[in-house]
Amino acid sequence: MLFFSYFKDLVGREVTVELKNDLAIRGTLHSVDQYLNIKLENTRVVDQDKYPHMLSVRNCFIRGSVVRYVQLPPDGVDVDLLHDATRREARGG
Amino acid sequence: MAGGLRLFTERTGEGAGEPVFSHDEELIHLQPSVAIALGNHSLEAPGTLYMTSRQVVWLSDSDRSKGYAVDFYSVSLHAVSRDQEAYPSPCIYAQIDTGDDDEESDSSDSESNDVLDLSKISELRLVPEDDSQLDILFDVFCECAELNPDPIEREEEHNWIFSAEQMVTDGAEVDDSEWNDVLAPTSSIGYSNGDNDLAHTVLQLQINDQRFEDPEEMDKDSDSANA
Repeated sequence: MLFFSYFKDLVGREVTVELKNDLAIRGTLHSVDQYLNIKLENTRVVDQDKYPHMLSVRNCFIRGSVVRYVQLPPDGVDVDLLHDATRREARGG
Repeated sequence: MAGGLRLFTERTGEGAGEPVFSHDEELIHLQPSVAIALGNHSLEAPGTLYMTSRQVVWLSDSDRSKGYAVDFYSVSLHAVSRDQEAYPSPCIYAQIDTGDDDEESDSSDSESNDVLDLSKISELRLVPEDDSQLDILFDVFCECAELNPDPIEREEEHNWIFSAEQMVTDGAEVDDSEWNDVLAPTSSIGYSNGDNDLAHTVLQLQINDQRFEDPEEMDKDSDSANA
């Protein structure tokens, strides 16, 4: 559940979610669940020329299994905290 | 894994009738007077929208032979679309995972002959006559999507949690009880083939997690578990 809690801490921040079909959507992280389903608000499509039909979308629900990458705000990544958390998880704690 | 859009014709009763769902499937929401547009095709005459614990079903009110269904696990993304410049009517927009990565070919393929190839439809729009219902439909859509996680996704996610010690000491029985706890919320709400999927997941986990062990031995283990 490491990444679930990690993403939960980023709620309210601006992220870019890249889907496995190459569509990339930028928006405010509204919520995330245990399956890493992601809800975004105030969304905009990164490549608007290629996906004009997505322009009309302001909020969306993205299925966790279709997400390829989530780009995080640089200052939203606490490297030390993440190090500790991954070590704890690796020990099974 | 992804099933895509398909025809749905199982109806019972008089007139437009009611859809026939399987016994372990629960109707979560019903929305009358919803028009549907598949891919780039034009809007079709209104029908009734059913959202169950497993799938979205749309049935034409006028033509009993016309109806579509898509499983929630095939819906990659859904959203409320209100910008009338992008689409004339406020709608629920959904992207469907067709299992085909070549997205560009989807619309042209499905339009190239007279028979619509539903399995290639990669997006659809649901236009309720009463657009004040859009937010409710969106929320129900989210709720239902969460009831239908991918089994594969759970394996990947849980690979992170298992420590080296657990991999060595845990037998199938221990895994079982843990997985029952994790899966209970979904399987109790009519998740399809819950038991089978559970067994499959545990089996996969053993293969994936104990990748540092002798692969041949693992194969034997999975075979005996299958038998």
